[in-house]
Amino acid sequence: MGTINISKKYTAKQKSYIPAILVGMKITMKRFIQGFFFRKHDTIMYPEVRRKYSDRFRGMHFISVDPAKTENCTACFLCETICPAQCIHIVADERDEDENPYGVKKEKKPVSFDIDALRCCFCGFCEEACPKDAIKLSGNYELAVSSREEAFYDLDHLKRPMNGRNEK
Amino acid sequence: MSNTDFEIKKPKVDLNYSSHLKPVHSDPNPEAKPLPKVTIDGKTYEFKPGDTIMQVAERYKIHEEIPRYCYHPGMPIAGTCRMCTVEVEKAPKLMTSCSTPAGDGMVVHTRSEKVMKSRTGVMEFLLTNHPLDCPVCDKAGECELQDYNFEYGPAKSNFKEEKRVYDNATTKKLSPLVTLNMNRCVHCERCVRFTDDITKTNDLVMVNRGWHKELEATTPEGLKNDYQGCLTDFCPVGALTWNDFRFQKRSWFLAKKPSICDKCSKGCNIEVHSDADVVYRYVPIHNEMVNGHWMCDTGRNSYQEYMNPLRVISHMMRQEDKMHSVSIEAVLASVNAQLKGTSSVQIVIGTDSTREEAALLKDKVPALIGKNVSVSYFNGTGVNTPADDKKLDNLLKMKDQTANSRGVEEQGLTPLTNGELTADVAVLFRNGRTGIPKMKADQKLVLWGVWSQSEIQSLPSKNILGVIAGLATIEKEGSYKNADGIVQKFHPAIIHRGGALSAHHVVGLWKSLT
Repeated sequence: MGTINISKKYTAKQKSYIPAILVGMKITMKRFIQGFFFRKHDTIMYPEVRRKYSDRFRGMHFISVDPAKTENCTACFLCETICPAQCIHIVADERDEDENPYGVKKEKKPVSFDIDALRCCFCGFCEEACPKDAIKLSGNYELAVSSREEAFYDLDHLKRPMNGRNEK
Repeated sequence: MSNTDFEIKKPKVDLNYSSHLKPVHSDPNPEAKPLPKVTIDGKTYEFKPGDTIMQVAERYKIHEEIPRYCYHPGMPIAGTCRMCTVEVEKAPKLMTSCSTPAGDGMVVHTRSEKVMKSRTGVMEFLLTNHPLDCPVCDKAGECELQDYNFEYGPAKSNFKEEKRVYDNATTKKLSPLVTLNMNRCVHCERCVRFTDDITKTNDLVMVNRGWHKELEATTPEGLKNDYQGCLTDFCPVGALTWNDFRFQKRSWFLAKKPSICDKCSKGCNIEVHSDADVVYRYVPIHNEMVNGHWMCDTGRNSYQEYMNPLRVISHMMRQEDKMHSVSIEAVLASVNAQLKGTSSVQIVIGTDSTREEAALLKDKVPALIGKNVSVSYFNGTGVNTPADDKKLDNLLKMKDQTANSRGVEEQGLTPLTNGELTADVAVLFRNGRTGIPKMKADQKLVLWGVWSQSEIQSLPSKNILGVIAGLATIEKEGSYKNADGIVQKFHPAIIHRGGALSAHHVVGLWKSLT
């Protein structure tokens, strides 16, 4: 079995390594001057400054509510039917007569509406299928949680107050 | 990419009922008068004199070409919905196929341009006042209005005015079992005709006319017949819904398997609707010899006893003054030892067992116990022998609340004397429907089959040697002989997810112990 010698013969300029350091320092100084004197950054200071994503970004789910804070969801199960990840679990029941005094009486309501965000692939099919524009995907991309339980969104979490598609 | 890639396949309209009418053929004898013939869509069919065009179509299974709302093969003809109109040559107008008698030499077109235009018009008129609340409606997925609109209806409505909304309430309870949503009604009057002509209770009536036509119960108490579930089955829209199933499951999730209702000796043919092996409802399927198109409410709700959380689905044995869930081998070993040590043993087979189970318990189990064992059957629902059984009404209900009295008696068994246990140890086998026989205070028992926890708690637990959990009718296979002597075989409709075992399995394990 033969060996291949890949060691290189370095020139005197390369061996002295100082010109290479100067090339590196030139780039460093250029970025330092751009950032320090002209305020030109490629990064942002994340928790204080947040990046603006497209309006079509699909992030954390929410359920829209009417002015009486009743969820628009009528538990029709269309999102559960179409969900390719099977991460939506709904239990339906009849709504009480006095629960929604405004407008047309909503006959059916979700007793529980659970989304397993760990399974969710954020395809947005649920939003497309929803006949009541109830379930929506917000622009919120901060989905990190410190325990698995927090990734199961229940109805209380989904009904949180929203400002359009953004978190309040 | 061509347009054909996205072509939507039209679903076949799935009617939840079928007709008993069969094709008829002329007498081959040349002297006999031949049957009259009618031509439907270019094919010639023989029919019985007096048939309507719809009935001829049903005889030859071409009735799916003719949509209908008011027509139902089990009920008298009304001709109110105008959806089944067909073109008859030489007739000036379109004719309703459900009420027009077929004539010899008649030429009928069911899908001509004129007919399709008429159906589109009828659909558009029906949808002017239909609320289109399919997301909330329980009928969605099995709704004839949805199916026919997909096939015949217009994509857009010309109706710009406000839809009719009934003032009093969007929903009202017609009875504790049935809810009415009048806004969805298409006024086919199937329900009115059902209570008038099938149950003969005259519970429902249409009041007012035209735009204000409204379904109402004739008495303030609402519906009072025993076949209210049938109203919700044949209602073509979601106007009448079954409270027990209301909002429980969407219909497209349900797996549908045929089975036999075991709540009485009639043996109605049913379809078990389940999802993930949880039963959500029973629906009757058509069998002209047994139940026609119908089924009673008691039978319809009888699945609840099998789905009850109190049903015992693991084998139990007494240990340290308490009933404990243990393995089947442990129960059988303990029961076997105690049966060997007693002087007299009797086996009581409930009349709700299948014929196969009755034969197995009569032939195989006495040999396993190995001494002179008396075998008898017990009913306990108000009848002793099948001879006591009688009809409770003019439709389906029977006095005997168990499914197989005749089939068990057929095995050469005799009823339990005075309905009382006499031997030291009694092995009670039942399927959850028979009563519990009278017994002495210190009667030792082996309970086998479908038992509920409340029934076991009503017995003195000191005397229960063991409980062997068995399968229910919808979970096992076998056959029942009904009150009319018709033997009906059935297969499992759902898979049992608990620890219960079939009788054959238990006897096999028992044999391996001895």
